[in-house]
Amino acid sequence: MDLISLYPTWYEPMLGSGWVVALIATFHVLASHTSVGAAMLFAYLSHKAYREDRDDLLDFIKKYGLFLMVFTYVAGSITGPGIWYSTTVASPNGIGALIHSFVWKWATEWVFFVIEVVGVYMIVYLVGKVDKRTHMKISIIFGVASFATLLIIVGILSFMMLPGKEVWFEEGGYLNGFYGTNTFIQTGMRIAFMFTMTAVVGGIVVAGIKDPAFKKEMARKLGWLGIISTLVGAALFQLYLTAVPEQALLVMENRLPDYFGPSIMIVLAGTLGYFIVTMLQPKIIVESFAGAMAVIILVAGLWPEETARESMRKPYVAGQYVYSNQVIGRDVPGMDIKSQLPTIEKVGILKAHPFTPEHLQTVNAGNKIQAGEYIAMVYCSNCHSPSETGIRPLHRYFPDGVTEERMQKYVKGVLTTGNIAYMPKMPMLDSEVEALSAYLVMNNNGGQKAITAAIKQEVENRDRALVEKNAMDKVAVLELSQEVK
Amino acid sequence: MDASQVTQVTEMMYALRNPAGIPTYPIIFIGLGVLTFALHILFVQLMLGTSVITIFGAFKNDAKWRRLAAAMLEIAKVSVSVAIVIGVAPLLFVQVVYDPHWYTSNVLSAVWVIAFIVILIFAYWAMYAYYFMNSKEKDKTKEPKGKVWMLTSLALMLVVGFIMHSLTSQILHPELWKEWYVQNGVIDYSGTQLHAYNLWRFAFFISMAIPVTGGMLVTYRRFKMVREDADHEYLNWAAKIGKKWIKLGSVISALLYVAWMMTIPETAGDFATSFWGIIGGVMVLFYAIWAQVRLRGDAMFCSYMALPMALVIGLVVAISREMLRYGILDGFFGYDFMDYKVVMDWYSTGLFFLTFAIVGGTVLAYFLTIAWQAGQTVGVYTPSPMVNRMGTIAIWVVAIWTLQFFVVGFYVWAQ
Repeated sequence: MDLISLYPTWYEPMLGSGWVVALIATFHVLASHTSVGAAMLFAYLSHKAYREDRDDLLDFIKKYGLFLMVFTYVAGSITGPGIWYSTTVASPNGIGALIHSFVWKWATEWVFFVIEVVGVYMIVYLVGKVDKRTHMKISIIFGVASFATLLIIVGILSFMMLPGKEVWFEEGGYLNGFYGTNTFIQTGMRIAFMFTMTAVVGGIVVAGIKDPAFKKEMARKLGWLGIISTLVGAALFQLYLTAVPEQALLVMENRLPDYFGPSIMIVLAGTLGYFIVTMLQPKIIVESFAGAMAVIILVAGLWPEETARESMRKPYVAGQYVYSNQVIGRDVPGMDIKSQLPTIEKVGILKAHPFTPEHLQTVNAGNKIQAGEYIAMVYCSNCHSPSETGIRPLHRYFPDGVTEERMQKYVKGVLTTGNIAYMPKMPMLDSEVEALSAYLVMNNNGGQKAITAAIKQEVENRDRALVEKNAMDKVAVLELSQEVK
Repeated sequence: MDASQVTQVTEMMYALRNPAGIPTYPIIFIGLGVLTFALHILFVQLMLGTSVITIFGAFKNDAKWRRLAAAMLEIAKVSVSVAIVIGVAPLLFVQVVYDPHWYTSNVLSAVWVIAFIVILIFAYWAMYAYYFMNSKEKDKTKEPKGKVWMLTSLALMLVVGFIMHSLTSQILHPELWKEWYVQNGVIDYSGTQLHAYNLWRFAFFISMAIPVTGGMLVTYRRFKMVREDADHEYLNWAAKIGKKWIKLGSVISALLYVAWMMTIPETAGDFATSFWGIIGGVMVLFYAIWAQVRLRGDAMFCSYMALPMALVIGLVVAISREMLRYGILDGFFGYDFMDYKVVMDWYSTGLFFLTFAIVGGTVLAYFLTIAWQAGQTVGVYTPSPMVNRMGTIAIWVVAIWTLQFFVVGFYVWAQ
């Protein structure tokens, strides 16, 4: 059996499946990091409220908690599995690789999720209904449990870039895959980042405080939290860059847009400026301003960071062995995993793919564009949208009027050999190279309209040929039966 | 389907398995998947049933119904949260041993999979919108504002339920996957269609909201009746409705279960008349009989048993549901989840079960004790020294867990 583990392809022409994942992931990071940071802040404030016998701090916790419950917990708890959903449909083998290595880690995280969900309701609804000491205890447990969820997920996210230790490839083992230099630095970076988020989002709640003295106190507390965490986070990001593979740095230098560096600096300066100004002039914090700043700072900060991480691990999507196009691109003896490239080289991608329809398994003149489109969807669409819009559209990479001959040279010389550092090796039979090239040229020169028309023609021709063949078969059967008579 | 077609489908399913294998015996994942699904669906049903009461009470000009509606809204909000968080577990476990089926089903309906996330967020926010419109009103017998939000919430919740139902139904038809992928001779990459559903099966799971919520009402009366400020007439009235709902709802659900069994795919063979096919429906009906016998009068102990009983019944139905899936995939197609490649990892397996038992057990015991006692106390609740000690132990347990994370991590890293 020469089939490999490839699923059908989902193609979303407007955004591209990659952007859909990125949007949901960014939203989730925003919600989840804020809630973890806030949980730890609540533990501190609740402890202070108990020690100093203060009701105003508990009231602040209740308001911030309710705000979080409606916005970040609802959205965060749904977009969490939402990331599974989006990666399942956009990158099933990518998420599958993580799930099959770290299922128990996710299950362990789930135990803490349950604690978190029960805890957040208790923290909000039990203010004034239980004594301050009990509220403090609940808050501390809630804070540590939230922190544990972050610790667990960072190990898995870190694996997406590379397994914790190099020895994992040879020996396997969950611990070797989970823990490594990259894991710990990323953990520190995310802790810093989550406190920045907590401080920024907390501004929305501070805006609602009526007592000027208390407002000033909370603005200062959040301001210092934000300034320190932003500076620590920025420093750790530099350190993080020393713990990623050289390949990732190469990709980062070559692939990330020019505005990436300056935009990060602007976000950093803007964030620090915002905290300084709000500490000096707490009265300027009104709900609309604080809300707008939260969205601007966090989205502007998160989007480049998530984009960079996604780009840097190319050509892989998980563990430096699953290509972004879902093919397993290297052996992992420690997990008894074999590269799928030799199989594809032997039988071609069309025959190796379990979902290739029968009529496309061998390229011929009557299915060339359909087969080419199928190969493009399987091999390319995860990173390059074949449409006008979406993620890195294919047509931007080829000159107008490119010929099939030139395209074939490019496909055979570059794609099938894996000669671009950040692109996967994509083996193809010669007939498949021709089909993909024909499709790419048509996509480039005529766009989706030309492709749709060509495929329609191919299908009509096939149907007609089928009808004719059936008719001929009937005639043959009739003739045969007459001869028998 | 002829034998060679069946072989082709089976080969495809095996090819789609993840080459990384799984870190423990597959039966454990199935067991946990079934158990957590039963818990998840219980809270889904609670959420649906309490939402219906909230809406019914809002439209009915009756003081008791309005009060009950306001109380059930609180339970609906918490139930959505709990249903979502518990639902993460079966979602995880289904990806482990049924990855070929779950992933294919999802990709073929990808737009609906993404829509699920968005619709669920709006459904939940709509419920909160209704809550915030009315939360400041002290008089719970007044006509609530923004009823359309609650109606919207319930409608959207049913839509997400249907999406999930369809995705799990598609798992059962591997013979149709390629057909769904190629529409009129052209490959459909759009993922815009839901391809399979069984309205009887969907209606059965939704209808279970009636008896489950009945169980909730009986428990609600028992929980609140010990408070000093308890209104016994109102609580007894609520419990009476609950008992009626358990009995009537169980009969309705049992009939829908039969309809589901009569419409299962041909590939399931004689599952409907097998032990697991029959026992699911019998257990649903048994809930009505149990309520008739055990919930007479005050039923001080059994009122608290109403929800655990619903869980037990849900668990039997969840096992039947799993056996149906296994029956189709293994019985007809010869795909056996039990022969999944195992790459044993004792550390992570042990860590999960220890965390589940010790951290989960200790912390939730403390949290639920506090929530329980505070709910039954008028004014500020101050725990006893023993409960306080439970809190201190819980703090130590989570702190030690965090410490072991770093100790083990640094040790591995330094090796």
